Amino acid sequence: MKTYNIVIAGFGGQGVITLGNLFKLAALRDGISVSGAERRGGAQREGGVTSHVRFRLLEPGEAFDERRMTRSALIPSGKADMLIAFEPLEAVRHCNYLHPRSVVLLNTEPSPPTLVRMKKQAYPPLDDLLGALKEFTPLVFPFNLSQLSRDRFQDFLHISVISLGLAVGLGDIPIAQERFIEVLQERFPDFEDNQRGFDLGLALAQSAKKFH
Amino acid sequence: MVFPLPLIRILMMDGILSCEAGQRILAMGNEAVTRGALEAGLGYFATYPGTPASEIGDTLISIQEHLPSLHGEYSTNEHVALHGAIGASFSGVRAMAAMKHVGMNVASEPLHFLGLTGVRAGLVVVVGSDPGATCSTSEQDDRWYSLHTHAPILEPSNIQEAKDFTKEAFELSERFSVPFIVNLPSRLAHNAGDLILGEMPAERPAAGHFVKNPVRYFNLFQSTVDNHRRLLESMDRLREDAVQAHLNRILPGSGDWGLITSSVNYEYLLEALDLLGLYDLPILKIGLSYPLSEGMIRDFLRPLKGAIIVEDLEGFLEFQIKKAAYDGGLSLPIKGKDLFPRYGELNVDLIGQALAREFGVEGKLSGLEVARKAKPLIEKLPPRTGTFCAGCPHRATIYSLMKATRRQEVYGGDIGCLTLSGLPPHYASDWVTCMNCGLATSQGVSKVIDDQKVITIVGDSTFFHSGVPALINAVQQDAEVLLLFLDNKWIAMTGHQPSPTTNLKVNGEKVPGVDIRELMRVLGVKYVRTIDPFNVRAMVDGILTALETPGFKVIIAERECSLQADRRRRRSRPEEDIYYDIDPERCQRCGECYMEFGCPAIRSRTEEGEEVYYIEEATCTLCGACKNVCPNSAITRTEVRSRVKPRELAGVGS
Repeated sequence: MKTYNIVIAGFGGQGVITLGNLFKLAALRDGISVSGAERRGGAQREGGVTSHVRFRLLEPGEAFDERRMTRSALIPSGKADMLIAFEPLEAVRHCNYLHPRSVVLLNTEPSPPTLVRMKKQAYPPLDDLLGALKEFTPLVFPFNLSQLSRDRFQDFLHISVISLGLAVGLGDIPIAQERFIEVLQERFPDFEDNQRGFDLGLALAQSAKKFH
Repeated sequence: MVFPLPLIRILMMDGILSCEAGQRILAMGNEAVTRGALEAGLGYFATYPGTPASEIGDTLISIQEHLPSLHGEYSTNEHVALHGAIGASFSGVRAMAAMKHVGMNVASEPLHFLGLTGVRAGLVVVVGSDPGATCSTSEQDDRWYSLHTHAPILEPSNIQEAKDFTKEAFELSERFSVPFIVNLPSRLAHNAGDLILGEMPAERPAAGHFVKNPVRYFNLFQSTVDNHRRLLESMDRLREDAVQAHLNRILPGSGDWGLITSSVNYEYLLEALDLLGLYDLPILKIGLSYPLSEGMIRDFLRPLKGAIIVEDLEGFLEFQIKKAAYDGGLSLPIKGKDLFPRYGELNVDLIGQALAREFGVEGKLSGLEVARKAKPLIEKLPPRTGTFCAGCPHRATIYSLMKATRRQEVYGGDIGCLTLSGLPPHYASDWVTCMNCGLATSQGVSKVIDDQKVITIVGDSTFFHSGVPALINAVQQDAEVLLLFLDNKWIAMTGHQPSPTTNLKVNGEKVPGVDIRELMRVLGVKYVRTIDPFNVRAMVDGILTALETPGFKVIIAERECSLQADRRRRRSRPEEDIYYDIDPERCQRCGECYMEFGCPAIRSRTEEGEEVYYIEEATCTLCGACKNVCPNSAITRTEVRSRVKPRELAGVGS
C-alpha cells in the first residue's frame, strides 16, 4: 500500500478547502482512495482553516486489510508528507504534522492576526518561522505566493492553483499531472487563468529544485 | 481560482443524482447522508442550518428542481423542522430533519412525543455533533437524549457508512415505528472522500395520504401511558433484533483485552493500533449505540480479562456497557473515561498515547515526539481569531456601538456572524451561549440594575428562529434595553441560506421578505429607527439618541451581507471603476482604521522604516465605511469611468 498525506493550512477565504477537494477529485480519477476532514470554523472570516488530504493506493493484487490499512479522517502527528501553508504563521501552527522528509510549501506574505494588528502581540520575524520549520525538515520551500497571484491575476484567489502546481512539481504525489488539468477544466470556471497559475507553480518548482 | 458557485455544487452536483449504482464519487459525510436518504426514497426534508450539518440542507434544497416529488425547506427553527417531518411521516411520506447538536435542544420537545405517537413512514433525524467545538459554542453530546426520548442512534464511522446507515435508518424506523437518529460528528460531516453509490429507487415517492390513527397520535391521560408502554416494548424488541448483529460488528482477535468503540473513533483506533503494531486485540465496533443489545455486550466481554471503551465526551457507551456488565454479573475491569478526556475530541495521537501506556508499548509512536517538540513553538504563535469579512456591515455597526458607548455598558451577544463581535478588536459581547441569549438575558439584566445601560445585538435569522417571544416579553415588561437588529438579509454564518428577510437572491431575482419595521410595530415596539451601518456617524448618533430615550428601543442596522453583495457586483461587471485609497500625506498613523475598525482590506507595510497603512484593492469591497472612520479625512474615494483594467494590459507571463 502506498499512502500520501497532505495538510493544507490557511485562513478563511484563501481557498484551503477547495484546494483539498481539487487534490481529491484528481486522485479519484486515478482510482486512488481519498479521505480527509476539513476544519471550517473560520471559513470566509479570516479564522484558521485546515484541510487534511489522505491518498491510499493499493499495489496490484494487494487485498485490503482493515486493521493495517485504515486511514482515518485526520492525519496523526508526524505523518504529513506535505504541508501547504498560505501564511507563514499557519505553517508553523501545523509543524506537529511534519516528519524529517516532509515537503513544506509556504506563502511568505504575512497576514497579521487581529492581536498583532492591535500591537498586543508581535509577529515573529519570517526567518525565525522558517528556522522553526527547518528544525523538522530540510525541505522547506518559501515563495511569496500573494505577490505572484496579485501581480499575475490582480487577486489573491490564484494562490491555491499556483500552490497546486508547486505541490505537483515538488512532492511525490501519486497522481498524474493531467488529472489536475482535467479537474480544473471540467469543474472550475476561468480555466485559462487557472492553467496559467498551475503552470507558473510547476515552473517555480523546477527552479526551486535546482536551487535547493 | 475563482469560485462563483457554492463549493458543494462543484463537488456533488453530477454525483448525487446519478443512477449508476456502484459508481465512485467524491462526497462529504453530509452529502453521503443526503444520498442515503435519496436512495431510501426521501419525500420531505426540513432543516435549520447549523454547522457541521449545514451542507445536508444545502445539497437537498439545491437539487429540488430536479426532483419535483421532494419537498425541501429551511425552516424557521429545528422545532418546526422536526414537526414538519412528523407531518409528512404521518401522511406516509419518508421524511428527514437535520440540525446541529444544539438544534436538538430546540427539537427535543417534538422528539420526546415522537416515541409516543410513533411514525408511519420512516423518519430520520440527522444530528451534527461537535466534540472539540470546532464550529460551535457548545460540545454537548446529544446521544444522552435517547435515554429518555428512546430514539435509536446510528453512529456511522466513515463516509460510506454515513450513506448506508442513513438509508437503512428509514427502513428500521418504519419497522419499529420510532424515529431513528443518525449522529454525525463534525469530523465525519466534513470528511470528504470516496463514496460508492447504491441503487436509486425506480420511482420517486407518490403523494402521501394522511391516515387517521388517534390511538397513537392523540396522547392524553391513559392513552399516553399505553403509548409509553408500547414505546418501551419496541425498544426491547429492537434490543433483541437480528439487526443488532448487522449494525454492530466484531473484529476478532486473540488478545485477552478487548476494545469497544463507535463513530469516527473506530478509524482513529484502528490507525492508532496500526502505529503501535497491535493487531490481535478484539474490537467491538458499535453502529447502533442506543438501545444497546446487552446480550451482545456480555457475549463480547465474557471471555476477556478487561475492556477499554474509546469514545468522545462524557462516556455514553461506558455508562450503558457498565450497566450491562453489572446486570450480567460480570466483574472484569472496564476502562474508558479514566484513560481519555471527557471534553474535547479524541484523535489518533490521544488514543495511541493512552493505549501505548496501557499495553506497555510506549516509544512506538514517533508522532508523539514531533508533537512534543512542536507544542512550545505553536503555543508561542499569535492566535488567529476570526473577524468580520472586508466590507461586513456588522463591523461598521459594532464599531459605531463601541464609539457611542464607554465599555461600562452591558453588551449582550448572540449567535451568527455577529458572534465575532466578542473577539478582538471589538470585545463587544459580554456573553454568548444559545440562540437569542442576547435580548432574552438582557431584559432580565435590565430589571435588576440601574447604573448601567444595556445594549444587545441579534441577526435576522437568529431573531426569527426563536427571538419573537423574547421581544414580546421585552415589550410587555418595557425592558430598559436597546436592541441592535443587524439585518444582513442572509443566514450568512452557515453558508448564505435565505433568511425571512432575504429579498434579493444572488442572481438578482427579487423575492418577498418580511418587513421588520412593520413586524416591530405590530408587536408593539414604540421606538424603531433604521440606519445604514456604513453611515458610521449616523449610527453613532442614532445609538446615542436611543440610549437617552427611556424604555425598549430597536435600531435596525440594515445592509446586505458584503459577500453576497460583492458576488452580485462582480457578476454585473460595473463600467465605472471605484477605488478607495489612503492619502499618505494626510494619514497620521493613528490606527483608527487599521486597529479599531480592523477591516482586513486595510493593511500595513513598512516604507523607509515607517509603518504605512494602505487599502488592498483585491480585498476591498468598496463599502466606504472606513472613509467615515478616518478622523483625518485621509481615506479618499476615486471613481474612474471605463478605466482599462490592468489585468487586460498585463497578459500572460508579464
